[in-house]
Amino acid sequence: MDLSQITIFTIATALAATALMLPPGLLLAWLLARRRFRGRVLLETLVSMPLVLPPVATGLLLLLLFSPRGPIGGVLTTLGIDVVFTWRAVVLAMTVMGLPLFVRTVRAGFEQVDRRYEAMAATLGAPPLRVFFSITLPLALPALVAGAVLGFARAIGEFGATIMIAGSIPGVTRTLPVAIYSFAETGRDGDALLLVAISAGIAFTALWLSNYLSARAGLRA
Amino acid sequence: MLSHTWLAVALVTLLLSPLQSEPLTVSAATSLTDALEEITRAYGAAGGGIVRLNFGGSNTLARQIVNGAPADVFISADEAQMAVVEKAGLLRPGSRVDVVRNQLVVMAAPDRVDLVRERFLQAPAEIRRVAIGDPVAVPAGVYARQYLERRGIWTVYEPRIVPAANVRAALVAVESGGADAAIVYVTDAAIARRAVVAFTVPIQETPPIVYPAAILAATRNLTEATRFVTFLRSPGASAVFARHKFLVPSGK
Amino acid sequence: MIALDFNLEQGGFKLQLREELVGRVSVLFGPSGSGKTTTLDAVAGLRTPSRGTIALNGRCLFDSRATVDLPPHQRHVGYVPQDVALFPHMNVRRNVLYGRRRGQKLSLDGVASMLEIDALLDRAVTGLSGGEKQRVALARALMSAPDVLLLDEPLAAVDVELRSRILPYLERVRDELGVPIIYVTHDRDEARRFADHVIVLANGAAVRSGPPRDVL
Repeated sequence: MDLSQITIFTIATALAATALMLPPGLLLAWLLARRRFRGRVLLETLVSMPLVLPPVATGLLLLLLFSPRGPIGGVLTTLGIDVVFTWRAVVLAMTVMGLPLFVRTVRAGFEQVDRRYEAMAATLGAPPLRVFFSITLPLALPALVAGAVLGFARAIGEFGATIMIAGSIPGVTRTLPVAIYSFAETGRDGDALLLVAISAGIAFTALWLSNYLSARAGLRA
Repeated sequence: MLSHTWLAVALVTLLLSPLQSEPLTVSAATSLTDALEEITRAYGAAGGGIVRLNFGGSNTLARQIVNGAPADVFISADEAQMAVVEKAGLLRPGSRVDVVRNQLVVMAAPDRVDLVRERFLQAPAEIRRVAIGDPVAVPAGVYARQYLERRGIWTVYEPRIVPAANVRAALVAVESGGADAAIVYVTDAAIARRAVVAFTVPIQETPPIVYPAAILAATRNLTEATRFVTFLRSPGASAVFARHKFLVPSGK
Repeated sequence: MIALDFNLEQGGFKLQLREELVGRVSVLFGPSGSGKTTTLDAVAGLRTPSRGTIALNGRCLFDSRATVDLPPHQRHVGYVPQDVALFPHMNVRRNVLYGRRRGQKLSLDGVASMLEIDALLDRAVTGLSGGEKQRVALARALMSAPDVLLLDEPLAAVDVELRSRILPYLERVRDELGVPIIYVTHDRDEARRFADHVIVLANGAAVRSGPPRDVL
């Protein structure tokens, strides 16, 4: 039944995108929270761009970069990897659009970690990487969870950039939002509403899970 | 009888050359969704390769292609968007054909349909708002505007126009009472829930509403693309289109 | 032996120190704002002097002219700050063992029994009393086998009755472990009782320095 395929596909790609957000997201959040450097404001602005630009504009930019004629897409095509109009484009759009929200939330979490603890850990012999993983990250865990859920929710609901770079290809790149839009456009209202209900269910579950995990993480810390 | 004939013709066409394994990407206007899904199923059943249909507004699809998206075939809802792609030098020369044609209808909610049917062309005050596709970007909207211009009633209706992002939105407007009439394609009438056709616009009162198809120059799958486009104009495909209320061009 | 010879300027505050600390316990004595904590921070590598040198047992920790500035995790200092700063997300045992390096001689049991925190090892940090937190922080600093122990007013937040109970632990550390201590306080009695050498600081400079009975 294609409705379940759409649902599973959307959840799977959103989870992949959330996982993909973590390494660059943690790094950026830490840099912006803890380090002063030249070009810091520029970096901050760049990271926030997908939040401010219309999603379709971001999608267009991604298309220019990742199409077979584009700088990144050209290299990938010679390696035999297609991005545009495939599930990879879906994950890419979700990651790019969710990353700014993740970074903002986690950065705030890092900024709230008392630097005295990090200083103490350093005097006890912990090099910066160990300080990050043993002190900063655990103490910012509630923010990390909240950021990941926010990123996931954004990924599930992502539409504008997705439709630009992944298209609306039944069975291949139709996520929940894209399918809802396509069904509504072609008169499949019943199916569209069903998908809306499923989306709402996923969003509800994600938020509930986020609150639960945050509370548990907060209690442990 | 007809179905047996087209099956035979299709089979012969397809079996003339070996099959490609890579799927074909066809960017097609949303209004062709139901018809094309049926046709590609038939194409596959008759031995054709896998076709990936990418649906969207023709303007969006054209933008995608111009910005490098790797489609093999483009089926547009109007010539203007096809021209955009052609001007960018991305069409394969000589591959362009007309697939189907469409026709405009004026629709209204059941309680307004008599008013609209009898008085639309006089632009009475009771018809306060008319929903059409955005006349700047959406093909159906462009044709609607051209129709109104030809009838000399564009100027009087212009302040009452509700531009919609797509046909569905125009139908929602008229069904919810936000607009008194909507000008859409005859093929869209089927997806309307409550709105009914007040009258069909005669073909000669609008420019030809043609859906061109063309193969893109950057295709990696020329044989398959050609085979598919040919299939679109086969009798069997024409029958499917006709069943969905499209008009099949008589000359090829 | 700790050799301090540096200037530190930050905002409107200026600190200038030129001292050699040779005893077991050196006390930095003075009112708040005189630069005591800043000095500890500079030795630990948490603050950077504007110019000068800091050396620990002959090892150069900071030298502005040779552009040497060892990061804190390479300095082998044990720091017990005024606010103790025990890691809230770890229990006592994990806090104490945090800085433990491979192959060092100090054992957890030894340090724990010396400071009498054996019973606390599996407790969470949040439920401890002020005195208990001090001893845990001390144990944590000691377990990293530091070359010098920096104690910032360890008895300031502790009530009078408790002070007399903690001081013996400090004396035990001094006597049994042989780690040099730099001890910051504004309390004359503590300084007199504990110090081999006292440096009196005022407004960012040493005004007097010598044995406690001469200086205080």
